[in-house]
Amino acid sequence: MAPGACPNFCPGASIETVDTILRDVIVRDSAYFGYISASEAPGLPVADLGVPDSRAIFRTVPLFTRVTNKAGDTTTVPITMDSARLRLDIVRRDTTATNLWIKLYRVPADIDSTTTFAQLVPSFTDSIIDSVNVSALLTRPLLYDSATLAAWGGDTIQTDSAGHVLQVLNDLSLALFIHLDTAQARFAVPDSAVVAYGVRVAADSLASIEIGSNEGGRGTELVWFYTYPDTNAAPLHATRSRGALFDSFVFNPPTPPLDSNLAVGGSPSARSLLRVKIPALLRDSADVVRATLILVPVGPVPGARGDSFAVFARPVITDLGAKSPLSTNANFFGLTPVHLNGAADTMRIEMTTLIRAWARADTTAITSFVLQQRPEGSSYAQIRFYSTRAPAFRPALHVTYVRRYAFGTP
Amino acid sequence: MTRVSIALAILAAVALTGPARAQDSQFGIRGLGTPGRWESVRARSTGGAFAPFDAFSPLLDASMADVPHVAAGVTGGASWRSVGAGTGTTTLRGTRFPAFVIGGPIIGRLVLAGGFSTYLDKSFGISTRDTIDIRGNPEPVTDEIVSDGAVADLRLALAARVHRRLALGLAVHGITGGTHVSAIRRFDDSTNYKTSTIGDAIAYHGFGASASALYDVSADLRFAAWVRNDTKLRAEIRGRTVTDDDLPFSFGGGVRWRAGTEAAIAGAVAWHYWGGGGLNAHDTFNWSLGTELGSPASPLRFGVRGGQLAFGPGAKAPTELGVSAGIGKQFSGGRGRLDFGLERLERKGVGLTERVWTVLLGLTVRP
Repeated sequence: MAPGACPNFCPGASIETVDTILRDVIVRDSAYFGYISASEAPGLPVADLGVPDSRAIFRTVPLFTRVTNKAGDTTTVPITMDSARLRLDIVRRDTTATNLWIKLYRVPADIDSTTTFAQLVPSFTDSIIDSVNVSALLTRPLLYDSATLAAWGGDTIQTDSAGHVLQVLNDLSLALFIHLDTAQARFAVPDSAVVAYGVRVAADSLASIEIGSNEGGRGTELVWFYTYPDTNAAPLHATRSRGALFDSFVFNPPTPPLDSNLAVGGSPSARSLLRVKIPALLRDSADVVRATLILVPVGPVPGARGDSFAVFARPVITDLGAKSPLSTNANFFGLTPVHLNGAADTMRIEMTTLIRAWARADTTAITSFVLQQRPEGSSYAQIRFYSTRAPAFRPALHVTYVRRYAFGTP
Repeated sequence: MTRVSIALAILAAVALTGPARAQDSQFGIRGLGTPGRWESVRARSTGGAFAPFDAFSPLLDASMADVPHVAAGVTGGASWRSVGAGTGTTTLRGTRFPAFVIGGPIIGRLVLAGGFSTYLDKSFGISTRDTIDIRGNPEPVTDEIVSDGAVADLRLALAARVHRRLALGLAVHGITGGTHVSAIRRFDDSTNYKTSTIGDAIAYHGFGASASALYDVSADLRFAAWVRNDTKLRAEIRGRTVTDDDLPFSFGGGVRWRAGTEAAIAGAVAWHYWGGGGLNAHDTFNWSLGTELGSPASPLRFGVRGGQLAFGPGAKAPTELGVSAGIGKQFSGGRGRLDFGLERLERKGVGLTERVWTVLLGLTVRP
């Protein structure tokens, strides 16, 4: 390869790059909702910002109420509950939040996926059973004596005078352990020891965290400590762990119904399907070097300043509307962060690889993609964009391409 | 291993070394290409002066008339070229397999010959740096334009000695070939901008005819004359004609004098009317002078050449001056011959000077 001494000793033609915004390539778009519900979320958002206000709820797996105290015996004896220890994983928090409190409430044991924020307002008003100052716990000295390490799986802990225990895990998430007495963890035999709790958060500011859920593999856990009578000696001590049979979150205000705009996120989560018509100029005479999807938000997304989620563009394998199967080829994905409570600036998603592939494909290729939230379902926040029905703010594609080179010309 | 196979192995080694994408001259980039030399190693070692009289140089068809048996000759070469433009100098290397001739008597005095030679070399690769404005920001880019291929001259010739002093030759030429071309733009900001690679294949077609004569004034003095007319060179991409350029009308001549049995001297001239071949095309005149000394079985050769190049910027054609030398060695009782040559060229044009060393290797065999 020789350095070109242009223009005298270079080919007459030159490589030409063109930059343009294509405003009419998104030809049809639709929004759908109901993909991931709050009870299927990989994380449970807990926030108290006035508006919005989000609270986690969960119900434990039932526990047996009687045991056999002698091997091979069919006679059972009742167990007597001593206490319980609840583990909550705080998988996301704002590290700049101060005076961060976790508050635990008793909620009705019949909570399910239809339970609303309003239905639980009384429980979250008068049924507080414990509260923990996480910020204060984080300032407590690390305990790493051998007895502590042995008791807590080799990890150091921080604890306060009320017996709350905090562990900082490898991914910097927190495991919070709350000791509950029999008044806080009621062992109700008729209910098979099913208990249900709700979690709120409070802070000087930025009161927004996320608690682990069953779907995210970080579900809450309740360890029961109980005794049962021995045949001829002192009562025997035992423990049994119970995870959450159901976990979810409720929030206020609820996600508004879909309108003529495109919606992404929220709970139940919404997705938007955009169909692209690749223009002939990109198919026949150009090589796309950069393609950026331009979306104009309808307004800012409410939430805690500093919180964010991502809007994710994924091509569909075939266009079946709301039920379109999504491609798993990450090379074609586009991604952009959305900061809550920020300015409603125009959003841009880089989609070069996908648009380039479509421009090179034949005209029968499916050229649609879906905008979805990531992580999907674990946020009350939903962003809305203007659709093709708003001509002045409709989605557009900013394309930079290289024109076909004039080969054969000296 | 026989000596013939050793020679073939050497020839193959020379032909296969070096980069796949050879480059012949920067002067041909902004033109139809770099015209090939219709010369065997023997002729090229004499500056091209012996080409009109050498049966295995595809220049002059009448020279085949004296081939008594079927024989074939092949030419290969490798060149090292330094290109000086502005304050910088770049060294490039190329490998060529530019000519093949086979022929022999068919009926009586009539000799049929064929083969191929490079008509236009169109292989080059250049790289340029620039900064362009995209989305309101300056973006540095690197462009590469690459062409790999050539246009070949497929020749079918008839030659005959029609008189003890006169030999005539006629040939038709199919001009055909192709190049693989690509234009690549790389952005320094490779995170946001993908590399653009646009490629294509160009097919070339053309047609030509030539006639030539050799006239022996005496046993030691021979004159040669030739004329050739080529039509247009049509370039097609996927069946669509993109250019249709004129090819030159050419003619030339030469004289050779034998000073005894172990010395010969020759001179040749040629005119090519490339002027219709595009914006940077020039009509050219080229001359050469050379000698062959020693026994025919192992001669020494020397030559000098000069003239003009067909393509280059400006109103005046770039010039070329070269010297060459070589040796030949017969083997197998004269059934085969190896020729070695070394050539030094200097080409000068507006803003560019090229200096080229070329090592040549040729093989002629008579089964």
